[in-house]
Amino acid sequence: MKEFQRYLLDRIAAANSHTLAVYRQQGGYKAIEKVLKTPLKPEDVITVMKDSGLRGRGGAGFPTGMKWSFMPDVAKDPRPRYLAVNADESEPGTCKDRVLMERDPHGLVEGCLIACYAMRAKAAYIYVRGEYRLSYDRLQAAIDEARAAGLVGKNILGTDFSCDIWMHKGAGAYICGEETGLMESLEGKRGHPRPKPPFPAGSGLWKSPTTVNNVETIFNAPFIVERGAEWFKSMGVPKSTGNFLCGISGHVNKPGVYELPFGLTARQILDEVAGGIWKGRKLKAFFPGGSSTGLMPASAIDVVMDHDSVKAAGSMFGTAAMIFLDETASIPQVMDVTLRFYDHESCGQCSQCREGTQWLHQMFHRIARGKGKREDIDLLVSLANGMAPGKTICALADAAAIPTLAAVKHFRAEFEQCVELGRDPLAPTHAPAPELQGAH
Amino acid sequence: MSQTPNPAPSSSPNPAPAPAAKPATIKIQVDGREVEADPKQPLIRACHDQGVDVPMYCYHPGLSPVGSCRICQVEVAAGPGQPSRVVAACRTPVSPGMVVQTDTPKAHETRRECLEFLLKNHPLDCPICDKAGECDLQDYSFNEGQGKGRSSEPRRKLEKRKSLGDVIVLDEERCILCSRCVRFFQEVTHKPQLTVSGLGSRSTIATFADKPLSGNYQGNIADICPVGALTLKPFRFQARVWNLSKTLSTCAECSRGCSITVEALRGKEVKRFRPRYNPQVNQHWMCDVGRFAYAPVTQPLPPEGSIVGGRLIGATIRGYNGLERVELESALAEIADLLRASSKPLVLLSPFVTQEEARAALELCASLGVAPRFVSPAPNNLKDDLLHTGDPCPNRRGLSDLGIAPIEPAAALTELASASAALLVGERVQALLGVAELAKLTTAARLVVLDVVAHDLAALDAALGVPTHVEKSGQWINVDGHVGVLNVAVPAPAGVAPLDRTLRELLEHCRAPAAR
Ligand SMILES: Cc1cc2nc3c(=O)[nH]c(=O)nc-3n(C[C@H](O)[C@H](O)[C@H](O)COP(=O)(O)O)c2cc1C
Ligand code: SF4
Ligand code: SF4
Ligand code: FES
Repeated sequence: MKEFQRYLLDRIAAANSHTLAVYRQQGGYKAIEKVLKTPLKPEDVITVMKDSGLRGRGGAGFPTGMKWSFMPDVAKDPRPRYLAVNADESEPGTCKDRVLMERDPHGLVEGCLIACYAMRAKAAYIYVRGEYRLSYDRLQAAIDEARAAGLVGKNILGTDFSCDIWMHKGAGAYICGEETGLMESLEGKRGHPRPKPPFPAGSGLWKSPTTVNNVETIFNAPFIVERGAEWFKSMGVPKSTGNFLCGISGHVNKPGVYELPFGLTARQILDEVAGGIWKGRKLKAFFPGGSSTGLMPASAIDVVMDHDSVKAAGSMFGTAAMIFLDETASIPQVMDVTLRFYDHESCGQCSQCREGTQWLHQMFHRIARGKGKREDIDLLVSLANGMAPGKTICALADAAAIPTLAAVKHFRAEFEQCVELGRDPLAPTHAPAPELQGAH
Repeated sequence: MSQTPNPAPSSSPNPAPAPAAKPATIKIQVDGREVEADPKQPLIRACHDQGVDVPMYCYHPGLSPVGSCRICQVEVAAGPGQPSRVVAACRTPVSPGMVVQTDTPKAHETRRECLEFLLKNHPLDCPICDKAGECDLQDYSFNEGQGKGRSSEPRRKLEKRKSLGDVIVLDEERCILCSRCVRFFQEVTHKPQLTVSGLGSRSTIATFADKPLSGNYQGNIADICPVGALTLKPFRFQARVWNLSKTLSTCAECSRGCSITVEALRGKEVKRFRPRYNPQVNQHWMCDVGRFAYAPVTQPLPPEGSIVGGRLIGATIRGYNGLERVELESALAEIADLLRASSKPLVLLSPFVTQEEARAALELCASLGVAPRFVSPAPNNLKDDLLHTGDPCPNRRGLSDLGIAPIEPAAALTELASASAALLVGERVQALLGVAELAKLTTAARLVVLDVVAHDLAALDAALGVPTHVEKSGQWINVDGHVGVLNVAVPAPAGVAPLDRTLRELLEHCRAPAAR
């Protein structure tokens, strides 16, 4: 693997990297200073973001500059506008935003300032996953410190730019990471996603124009503003620029969160970053970007890790949460726990999702316990096709259907074997996961 | 469900406010036909307005659209020849030139899938479900479903009969979580009482802190529940809905006069009052007081061998041995004599008499040389800012329009005490004056009563039975000048003639030469 330039995790090695003093020592708050003192016009900031080619890191890979430009013209629309930072990080396998929030919270604060300036937003709301207590505390401390230093609040750095940043603690629902569910939850309601249209830029938080971005997306903004679009584009591949945080988990020797450039193959990442499959075993399958992305067989290990290449290979880049499974893993067992998650987390509004996630889970559960029937396998496919794509209010139904279809496509023989034998030959010998009854 | 609004008021000198100006429309194409659509309404409305059936569960025309059940999917393209996609019609705005197809294989397939998911956990207890026969899940499954379940998983086990207060029982297993009931309290009464509790497939409908439902509008949620999850306690297991006859009518319990349907078992026994859509009066709703006012229209017959203490049938006069049944003709002659003998008989109408009956009463009074008045009790405390007016007189406006003056019960009783003869006319007239007070009148007063029930009044000289408001046709005028129609929903008992006819016959007798 070639040497590459790092920036995302550059600062976290320093002791007390989460404090304002250390952040400043490492060159922090220079980007917002550049914006305000030059001064750059908000449109100019959006242009730089567009030129950089940055794509959202929340899972869908939507171009960030373009998203920012969807906010309506202030001259024509007097409503206040908001930035919502999606720090609900709950996609199974994903744990990258946490590193940034715990170790470099001022980076996110500065990113919020730049995004709010560019979109003329009055305030940013950071919606933090409830279980992330340290993230919450560190971010709150960072906001307090920044406010005391005149970096958050009224007349930032003595200019007429004012911007507030507020924190909101989630209560542990995956669905509150879906951008419209997040907004409902922020407004104090149940996290039931809203049908689109209207899109958040037209009617978001409190019916005002809103942009929702992932933590890592916003975290990239100060770097781009300070170092320029050209610098950013020099990293990665033409359509997926910059670096990304790759959360590696599963049966590997060195799991963790790594900063990587786009364009490496999955094999390079597995062997050269994650230290290969553990215990001398062989790779069986991997999720390229969280459990909502289609499971890929070992034969796909040479896929290039960028948004378009993974898509072309039949899966999704997602949140770059790579989950590797070794040869001892049973795909029916994996799908049982995966669908158990979606069944548990569906908000329950849409018929297909509420009933479908449960149904798929019940079937995978049965098959994994050796109680499957021959016709179950085609039924799995038929049901998953009935749930997605685009048949429901939000993409959670798709998130359950996509891995189901991929698992049956690539590992049909294994499901058939479980059905024929009446047991799963690869079932773990330790006690199975408890039944879901009585879960909240 | 019938959606016929009442006819525009014609007989009222105070015409109803003109309907709002017609909204500007745009042109779209629905199933190959070019049609006009209201741009402020979702696509599903444009389809329904054209008589094109698009199924719906979570959508209800009286509530905000949430687009969650996903049954209303249709195929839509921005214009002819443009690529099409399947969308939820209830959350899709109409746009000019839009091409909508409701009847394509793709649209049917999407709806079939949706139904299959909805039936996955459904208990399929239609044989014991009150909703069977008017259930949208049944109907759409019949139209669009696949007829055969593919699930071998256990169905959800939830509470089958959870009481939500005095009016409603919830069957959690039947609920399809369309949230109509939740939105009803949020958006119509503006007093949220229900919520979805729990997540995903563990969701149920619940009241806040498990408190019973309250308020005068609870029954509506059983109407709008598309399945049999919410049932009315008074209606539970009372009738199979296909045995109910349905007759357009008007509620009698206040001067709003909500448009309703009277539903009677095999056309005989009133089982249910249900609101009927009327954009000018009650939208889709009615209050519980009106909904459950069956008692006044299901009066039992008097005890065997008795004339009083129940439904007044035929003609009765006081003879030497007390009250006795007589032929109508002789009763009419007797009453005519009695009225003519009095210099100024007091004529009091019930505020329940229809315009037609009131006109007949006016003719009779003209021949007697008196002016009738209608009994007007004080407002009750049921008034709210949704429908109930607090005025128990359903035809106050109509009677006033005919120049008939109101009189309060207390004043009427004072006049009665000194009257030589009095004619009390119409459904509930005794009850509104106060039966106990009427019973105190001395035998000096000569009382003629035309009412639905017979009471044992010392002063009573003659009584004729009249139909209830579900046994007659006619018109009332509501508080805002809108006409409310009454139709014969159940037949009046034998020996009870229409009141306007009785009054006209009485008029004939009054005009005829005196018998004695
Ligand atoms: C069920 C579901 C859960 C999601 N959870 C998250 C999440 O936890 N964090 C996140 O950033 N995006 C999540 N998303 C994606 C967001 O809806 C949204 O696309 C993202 O926050 C946009 O940010 P970006 O443009 O910066 O990528 C989720 C989407 C779905 C459908
Ligand atoms: S797709 Fe699932 S999670 Fe998303 S809104 Fe519908 S029911 Fe809720
Ligand atoms: S109880 Fe009826 S109206 Fe309420 S959510 Fe369930 S199905 Fe819908
Ligand atoms: S009726 Fe349209 S989604 Fe329910």
